[in-house]
Amino acid sequence: MILSLAWKNIWRSKRRSFVVMSAVAIGVWSIIFMVSFYNSMMGAISRNSLQHDYSHIQIHHEGYLSDPGLDFQVKNPSKLLEFPSQISDIKAASGRLIVNGMVASPKTNLGIQVYAIDPADEAAVTDLPSFLIAGDYFTNIKRNPILLSQKLAEKLKVKVRSKVVITVQDLEANIRAGAFRVSGIFHSKSPRINNGVVYLRDQDLSKLINSTDTSFNEFAFLLKDNESLIQTKKKMEMKTKNLVRTYREIAPEFDMIEEGSAISKQVITVIVMLALLFGIINTMLMAVLERTKEIGMLRAIGMFKRKIFLMIVLETFMISLVSAPVGLMAGFLTNVYFEKNGGMDLSQYAGALEQYGGDAIFYPEIAQSTYFFLMLVVIMTALMGAIYPAIKAVNLKPLEAIRKV
Amino acid sequence: MKVIELKSLSKIYNPDTIPVRAINDVSLSVEEGEFTAIVGPSGCGKTTLLNMIGGLDARSEGSVEVGGVSIQDMSESQLTTFRMQHIGFVFQAYNLIPVLTAKENIEFIMVLQNMDAKTMQERSDDLLDRMGIKDQRDRRPSELSGGQQQRVAVARALASRPKFVLADEPTANLDSGSTEALLDIMAKLNEEENITFIFSTHDQRVIDRAKRVITLEDGVIVSDEHR
Ligand SMILES: Nc1ncnc2c1ncn2[C@@H]1O[C@H](COP(=O)(O)OP(=O)(O)OP(=O)(O)O)[C@@H](O)[C@H]1O
Ligand SMILES: [Mg+2]
Repeated sequence: MILSLAWKNIWRSKRRSFVVMSAVAIGVWSIIFMVSFYNSMMGAISRNSLQHDYSHIQIHHEGYLSDPGLDFQVKNPSKLLEFPSQISDIKAASGRLIVNGMVASPKTNLGIQVYAIDPADEAAVTDLPSFLIAGDYFTNIKRNPILLSQKLAEKLKVKVRSKVVITVQDLEANIRAGAFRVSGIFHSKSPRINNGVVYLRDQDLSKLINSTDTSFNEFAFLLKDNESLIQTKKKMEMKTKNLVRTYREIAPEFDMIEEGSAISKQVITVIVMLALLFGIINTMLMAVLERTKEIGMLRAIGMFKRKIFLMIVLETFMISLVSAPVGLMAGFLTNVYFEKNGGMDLSQYAGALEQYGGDAIFYPEIAQSTYFFLMLVVIMTALMGAIYPAIKAVNLKPLEAIRKV
Repeated sequence: MKVIELKSLSKIYNPDTIPVRAINDVSLSVEEGEFTAIVGPSGCGKTTLLNMIGGLDARSEGSVEVGGVSIQDMSESQLTTFRMQHIGFVFQAYNLIPVLTAKENIEFIMVLQNMDAKTMQERSDDLLDRMGIKDQRDRRPSELSGGQQQRVAVARALASRPKFVLADEPTANLDSGSTEALLDIMAKLNEEENITFIFSTHDQRVIDRAKRVITLEDGVIVSDEHR
């Protein structure tokens, strides 16, 4: 009876209930939308820097971390490059000889990192060729080809086939310079690479530094999926004495992104819920004050305070129970819509997004648990919002009812 | 059998600021089966007296006994139970629950009493029948006339099988036809089922039908007439 009375009471002021229900639904929808959007953005940033920059796992010589350069090359590189055939979770491996240097064009010179790579291996791991926007992948130039990012090419004012000079220090700290010709210009999804990495073939760098037995100082491994990360790392550690690190260990920003986005999502949720909380308190307070006489009468004829309390709480609960699923559904459908229709195209703002390594097109992402979590949060908010009005209702004097109109 | 016994009852409003002695040293007893009107000019203390009898307002001095039990020292929740079990209230403004139908309004108090569904059903049907509002059972208060609403209110008051029914100016909002109809029902219930009614009124027609008329003036009983 109280249940049905509470239900009927909700519909007394249809407009008011409708307004508060819409507010709840819109609030829930907006949280889902914002969280999905946020997940999508942060997900893209993480994914891009994982797939196109750090890869899942890297191996270096122990000493490399404190003294990055040519001194700490990993011995016996072919052993590490065979890992993909030995450990099933590894998809591809690429060795890099990384050295700091300068690139110079007739216009200017810039400090950069030289990545000397095996083109095929690097392509398998970071998908580098897919980012080419001009020229091609080391094949159009016979002698000393180089890949530059669009950003660097613009700064240097060079085009495909232009000549640039690379200057590095060799193992004996002698300055070595060599002429290279731009084979391709790329635009990676990793801001770090765009800002200061150039790619050479490993044999060309060896020649430049006049060393016959060069190896690599960095090995990047792409895994088949992220799940096996820790396991695979352990397997690799069994096979090598070198330093094996996952991308999370290499780049703490992955954790920061995750933590930061968790906090942002909580802040969004709390703000929306606070707004709803006050809306609910306000509405229920109005509903109670409007019924002063009736509640007084209920008390007079012998309805216990706790039942009055329960009635108001139930009314609020039902409002949230009806409206939250509408918002959840709307949020779900919005996400489905964008998934089906090729995502949300924000290429207009792509410049800003790319600076952070994001994508221009958003595919909403949300964990299923978020829906349940939100439902729970809304119900809790509603119950919290019910408390004050319910206390008000309980404290009404039964005497009020018996007074004249 | 005495249903109500008041001894030297007084009510003082605003004792700390400007004290108003709304009821002054009233002693009175009401027997089962009475059909009693409390009358008097506006402001003489009728509502105040009924509220104290009904456990809705605290007395300042003296005592209120209902069915041999003093109610002045009861806690709030004891009073709530007491009102639910022993007193039927009829209000001037009907005060039905607007979202419930006539029948549901009558059953509501039985729900509060945790009565079983079958008894409840029978009782509400019976009451609707006796009040002559059987055809209106599924209507909400807003779809009923004032007279019909007040009959629902009387039915609700009786539904809990109270020791007596308290009605503060039950006919004040009714036209003369509805007033007569309601009085007929109340008188019949009183005659046939020995139900005790205590009501306040200004209305001469109501006074004419009462079997006992207690007149208050400035919170004091000035006459008590059995007919
Ligand atoms: N809550 C209150 N605070 C202060 N004084 C009150 C209060 N309620 C009633 N009074 C005063 O007590 C006196 C009796 O009031 P009461 O309402 O009992 O009269 P009544 O006989 O029912 O009048 P009416 O016929 O107009 O309904 C009046 O003088 C009134 O002003
Ligand atoms: Mg009065």
